[in-house]
Amino acid sequence: MRRMKAFVFTSVLLALSILTGTATAQKVVKIAFLGPLTGSVANFGIGARNSFDLAIREANKSGQLKFKLEGVALDDEANPATGVAAATKVVSDSDIVAAVGHFNSPVALATIHVFHRAGVPIVLWGTTDPSITKKYNYPEVTRVLPTMDVQSLVASEFAFNKGYKVWAIIHDSSDYGKKAKEDFSTAIEALGAKVISIDSVQPGEKDFMPILTKIKQLQPQAIFAGVVIPDGALIRLQMKKLGMENVFYIGPSGITDVKFNEIAGDAAEGTVSIHPGVFLEKIPKGRKFLESYKEAGYKEPVSAAGDVAYDSANIVIEALKKVGPNKKELAKAIRNISYDGVRGMISFDEFGQTKLRAVTVMVSQSGKWIPWEDSDYAKGLKKLPGQR
Amino acid sequence: MDFLFQQLINALMTSAIYALTASGFSLYFGVLKVLNIAHGDTCTIGIFIAMTLNSLALFSGIYQILSPGLTILLILVISVALTGFAGVLTQISCIKPLRDAPTLVVLLVTVGLAIGIPEGIRLIYPQGSNPHTFPTILSTNGVHWAGVPIRYDNLLIILTGIFLFILLHLFLTKTRVGMQIRAMAQDREAALMMGVNLNLLYSFTFFLGAVLGAISGITYGIYYTIVRFDIGFMNGLKGFSASIVGGLGNIYGAVLGGLIFGFAETFAVALIPHGSAFKDVISFLVIVIFLVFRPTGILGHRIYERV
Repeated sequence: MRRMKAFVFTSVLLALSILTGTATAQKVVKIAFLGPLTGSVANFGIGARNSFDLAIREANKSGQLKFKLEGVALDDEANPATGVAAATKVVSDSDIVAAVGHFNSPVALATIHVFHRAGVPIVLWGTTDPSITKKYNYPEVTRVLPTMDVQSLVASEFAFNKGYKVWAIIHDSSDYGKKAKEDFSTAIEALGAKVISIDSVQPGEKDFMPILTKIKQLQPQAIFAGVVIPDGALIRLQMKKLGMENVFYIGPSGITDVKFNEIAGDAAEGTVSIHPGVFLEKIPKGRKFLESYKEAGYKEPVSAAGDVAYDSANIVIEALKKVGPNKKELAKAIRNISYDGVRGMISFDEFGQTKLRAVTVMVSQSGKWIPWEDSDYAKGLKKLPGQR
Repeated sequence: MDFLFQQLINALMTSAIYALTASGFSLYFGVLKVLNIAHGDTCTIGIFIAMTLNSLALFSGIYQILSPGLTILLILVISVALTGFAGVLTQISCIKPLRDAPTLVVLLVTVGLAIGIPEGIRLIYPQGSNPHTFPTILSTNGVHWAGVPIRYDNLLIILTGIFLFILLHLFLTKTRVGMQIRAMAQDREAALMMGVNLNLLYSFTFFLGAVLGAISGITYGIYYTIVRFDIGFMNGLKGFSASIVGGLGNIYGAVLGGLIFGFAETFAVALIPHGSAFKDVISFLVIVIFLVFRPTGILGHRIYERV
């Protein structure tokens, strides 16, 4: 009798759970976000994550999806080992169909293999090392950001035309820094300038005084810094301490952030950097994105990486609308996509690299990064450090 | 010539910071035979307390009530004192109960602290994982001497370092507690037999060590501007190596070790082509070579253990 009761009880329970199971709400599809949410470059990662979140919220609100979209954010700490751990976590979760990721090239260079082996598509909103797409050419990997070689070309042409012909290069020893140094030195020497000194530092180095003192002796006209903030800001600060303010200072996208001006203070004036993309305030879609970001009420600034992450997330969402949550189909759909994003019409070449190569030259004026053509410097009202 | 002079100043700056950390290590070991791996983190504690007090002062408007100079001085004194008390707290809770335990156990405890303290700061301080800007206390102006600009922060650090070491020397030689410290470092058993107050000495040594660490940390913050919760590790490692070179247990040796380390680093970058990429390798290599030829350190003495 007791056994009978137990049997009836468990079968009723089972039936109920099956019924409630099928009665649950719509399917949930997840997209992962990977980026540096802590550490020296956290401001880029957090701005990007918020923009990613914005894209997902807007997609869910639009009602155009047959399922509910959920974003899962993971911290790669700008560290390859942590990045690989996060990537492994992403690919082990069967609900996650795609990822957008990474600010730092060294991290992506480690994780793309994980994503490739698992067949999970990843759209890169950061990273500038060309080999990530060119060398490996994984079908799952696409990148929405122009690469370092484009930045270096524009930077070198700009600086050379302003008359800076004697250069010193300081770069960090990560893959990002090394690539920046290689591309820039090749480009500037091809134009006919001379590189009198190349120095490598550990990422996170704080004391540039010995290097700068040594460089000052060689009397450069300009210094190229293949580093990220805060190192980039510290170099400029210490240049000022040594009385080197008249040496022109330029760096790639790693220093194009509000934190540079915050840390370097007055010393930041007249620094030039390359922003990988169009300046948002100038285009209607850019302004709309910035407004939506503000209205959504995120505490942290959008950062230079925000619009890229936003477009990356929307590319995944568009592909999801076309082929649904099938990882292989998604990878193909993303590769072949033509998406009208904030930065313009985005499509990818045979290596998964965006065909949009527009970059903007920015100059730090009165504590803010503004596009070169809008600045007082371009209008001739102010002179760049040591401008001839 | 003035470039050499500038590099000299650069070297002195880093030496001062290392020497301050190194003297803490020598103090703990010389007096109490305790190898305090967590000493580097007293620097971090000092820095973060100073930043918290600064934020509080800005928030509560104390800067308007008292003059900025006085407020800054108060903040510095309070953070150094608080760090000192934190050192005493660590001593009472973690070191004192293990007074008679084997040195390896005490070492492990300090390693645990060296992990726990930075992580604790990371969790408690808002946005702890990110680098923070240490408030700029001094303007970037300075004076000129022999054609080389010497900035006010350089002057302050050099003068503070000299002043502190004179103070420390006087304390060790002229006061009663200083004498007890020297006695313990010289011959532990004899000192105990002479009636040295071990309890007081333990607390006082940890207070003094933490104070030195805090000053080292604040100097670091003033000079480098950017601080993070984990700077204690590298700072501690370098300070520790410096104290070994100078002779573990000897505070004057710690100063010497700090100078050697700072100069090795700076001139490795200045003179060796592409030296900056190998800065840490070269400076630690110098340490290794030193120890090969003089394992007791420059001013150290052999320790004999009676079996």
